[in-house]
Amino acid sequence: MSRRFVRKGDIVRVTLSEPERDLLRELPEQLRSLYSSDDSDDAVTVRLFPRAYLDPTEDAAEREWESLVRPELLREKLAALELVVTALDAASPARRGRLLVDLSEDDVAAFLGVLNDARLALGTTLGVTDDLDVSVLDPSDPESAAYAAYGWLTYLQGELIETLLGTMPG
Amino acid sequence: MTSAPVEAPVEAPLELPLEERELDVGLSAVTDRPWIVIVWNDPVNLMSYVVFVLQKIFGYSREKATSLMLQVHREGKAAVSEGTREKAEADVARLHGYGLWATLEHPA
Repeated sequence: MSRRFVRKGDIVRVTLSEPERDLLRELPEQLRSLYSSDDSDDAVTVRLFPRAYLDPTEDAAEREWESLVRPELLREKLAALELVVTALDAASPARRGRLLVDLSEDDVAAFLGVLNDARLALGTTLGVTDDLDVSVLDPSDPESAAYAAYGWLTYLQGELIETLLGTMPG
Repeated sequence: MTSAPVEAPVEAPLELPLEERELDVGLSAVTDRPWIVIVWNDPVNLMSYVVFVLQKIFGYSREKATSLMLQVHREGKAAVSEGTREKAEADVARLHGYGLWATLEHPA
């Protein structure tokens, strides 16, 4: 069975079906609107842009830290969306209706961040727990499509991480 | 955390001359205490991802990163680095950049 992510020199190549590519291709737009949300109390916003200080006596330090870090973090996340869009749109066809997407080192980092943010957003919305078993989904559950997407994104990110860990020092 | 399918540098506080230390005693009492960076468990982040991020940010060995990750997983949190407020704030920012939930505090 061929691996999902394969290294080809400096490039990481991922093989996707068309529906899989389409699912991934929707993530940047969905994340872009989440990132620009004005609702600072929304659970997803809080999870994507958490506090640094839990101690309320450090609120001044928190505000200063947020004023420096938040714009930069947002800029990085938005840049990652652009890289993922470009990479997915440049997919080339392979056998049996598959698509090949070649990722540079920067693309891989962007891909990893987008997958993780998408899972954080979906997971927070769905209220997933540590021991969520996505294999026991009830198709009649209106949230089952979201759970299925979450499960597949989890699998895909896991595969990418294994590929990356494989070449990192032990 | 879910499954898918750290050498913390300590930076010594500056040694001020005695008279300066007396003047700045309030500030020094706050700024000279070390800060620790806590990574909190969450149900979304993959265990392998936490290991990857700790290695990437701090250059920890696989063994140390795995040990810290397991502590996060089992105990709900782990201190992954330590240093000045400035360093700890920067570490927290980098961890948030990877989507880990991290905060800084003084050690108990």
